[in-house]
Amino acid sequence: MKKSVWTRLLLAGLLTTVAALSLAGCGSDKETLHIYSWADNFDPDVLKDFEKQYDVKVTYDNYANNEDLLAKIKAGGSGYDLIQPSDYMVKTMIDLDLLEPIDMNNIPNFENISETFKNPEFDPGNQYSIIYTSGVTGIAYNKKYVKEDIKSWDDLWNPAYEGKVLLLDDNREMIGMALKKQGKSNSTTDEAEIKGAEEELKTLLPNVLAFDTDNIKQKMIQEEGWIATVWSGDASFIAKDNPDVAYVVPQEGATIFSDNYAIPKGSKNKELAEKFMNYMMDPEVSAKNYEFIGYSNPNTKAMDFHTEEYRSDTMINLTDEELGRTEWLKDVGEALQTYDRSWNELKSGR
Amino acid sequence: MSRHKLGMAPVLLWLSLFLIIPMLIVAGISFLQRDALGQLVFSFSIEGYKTFFDPLYLGIYWDTIVLSVTTTVICLLISYPMAYYIANAPPRVQTWGLILITVPFWINFLIRTYAWILLLRTQGVVNTLLMEFGWIQEPLQLLYTPGAVLLGMVYNFIPFMVLPIYVALEQMDKRLLDAAYDLGASKWKAFRHITLNQSKSGIMTGCVLVYVSTTGMFVVTDILGGAKSAMISNIIQSQFLGARNWPFGAALSVIFVLTSLILILLFNRAMQARYLKVKEGGA
Repeated sequence: MKKSVWTRLLLAGLLTTVAALSLAGCGSDKETLHIYSWADNFDPDVLKDFEKQYDVKVTYDNYANNEDLLAKIKAGGSGYDLIQPSDYMVKTMIDLDLLEPIDMNNIPNFENISETFKNPEFDPGNQYSIIYTSGVTGIAYNKKYVKEDIKSWDDLWNPAYEGKVLLLDDNREMIGMALKKQGKSNSTTDEAEIKGAEEELKTLLPNVLAFDTDNIKQKMIQEEGWIATVWSGDASFIAKDNPDVAYVVPQEGATIFSDNYAIPKGSKNKELAEKFMNYMMDPEVSAKNYEFIGYSNPNTKAMDFHTEEYRSDTMINLTDEELGRTEWLKDVGEALQTYDRSWNELKSGR
Repeated sequence: MSRHKLGMAPVLLWLSLFLIIPMLIVAGISFLQRDALGQLVFSFSIEGYKTFFDPLYLGIYWDTIVLSVTTTVICLLISYPMAYYIANAPPRVQTWGLILITVPFWINFLIRTYAWILLLRTQGVVNTLLMEFGWIQEPLQLLYTPGAVLLGMVYNFIPFMVLPIYVALEQMDKRLLDAAYDLGASKWKAFRHITLNQSKSGIMTGCVLVYVSTTGMFVVTDILGGAKSAMISNIIQSQFLGARNWPFGAALSVIFVLTSLILILLFNRAMQARYLKVKEGGA
């Protein structure tokens, strides 16, 4: 009798076990560029073109947030040649001495980049990084349900949207948003100001449907949420699937962010990484790549090669007036613990 | 005997390499300090443990325990009759029952959890059907609620409860039941003193598996709960990533492991005490 139990369990167990054997790729003598970046951040065809043109191989691994990236690079021996940290993370990585200086002599196409995005405050003189794409955290709303003219962060607090507001599941972004609403800096280190922003957010909770970063797009497309804090590039993505969705950079100002090229210390193919950056900044290549990823292109020379649809997309191409109202998130050092605590208090309702 | 010991070597090596040493490293980190950039500073500190006793984090831990215990109890209430039915069914039905319970494991856990979104969202299957039937006028907000979290937890962990109980029930000596009936025991009495008692080890294993899995789970609260609550595992994760406070995260992990162990031991004790009482009562 005992035996039969185990036979049956084993049978069920065997049926549930799916063994996947992955064979390691065959060896090759070709030079290989190891990229570590966000998912879907390149047009795969463009990567293939680069492989062909320079007779090299490109590998492309993904991370979901800057902190994962930092943990991996800090641990060392990752073997990556090119990474794409966001603005504040570039600064952190420079401070931690994790980045290799970029040799601009190898990147003549750098001159194609818009002056607006050169020489950023998180990396003066572009010693360690070059802008890849940027956007602004603004408000996306569905005109089917939201009839008011949305202009201000204050609109999220409108009782008419009870249980229909979506927020990014990101402590700095959301506390930063509340700070902006109160006319403060999104990177304040003043404990009272952070606390004040937390109290402000607590009064928003009855309106909040969910906190989400990765799937906020789907939740807006499916019309689960009516109004949300959304990155401009994501707003463009949402609007393509759901034309009722509009986007605005609120009048109080908003957080601007960028993803940047950088080379981690310990890269074995630094020159190849620079060659790749230069290739990606070629106007024609650049246009092809950004058409695919649907994010803003800082390459001024590439505009001629972009489609009319891309050029007229106001969520991808923000105006100078809109950009003028934005502020970068800065590393807040020890105050990060206050932000974290406030966020935990907010989430746990205490 | 020595050959027996030799056979244990791979297991011991595996455990020490991938369980004991990492746990010791975590315990070590929990007594360190950090700098503003999140780098570990090698000097002794119990700051992480002190922070835990802040009402905020004690409260979050309490919430986690309440959710885990609730999940475990509901899983037990659903799984016991299921396991009982399967164990007492003809062999063919048994095999099929077990396969049906394990089949969902063919599908990735995340996909199974995301599937609930399709069912529960405002334009989802459940709401659409209810509106079709005219039972509701407006879609119900089913997703991103504590109920959805509980549902997702119970759904995901039921097999962990059914299988151990099934094994215990299947291995039970059924002649004991006959003896009890012969001695005039009622059905309920026989079930309570024999079946329930004999399947105790299964219940025990199932409860521990479900409880431990639930406390460590944060994906379900994020996906089905809309990340609107904080579980202790969310906090641990954020300390190692966003908050860059490894000593606090490590201290939380150590406390987490220790309290789980204590709870399991207490539970074990209670079950054994009950067993002894039953034995004495029966004698």
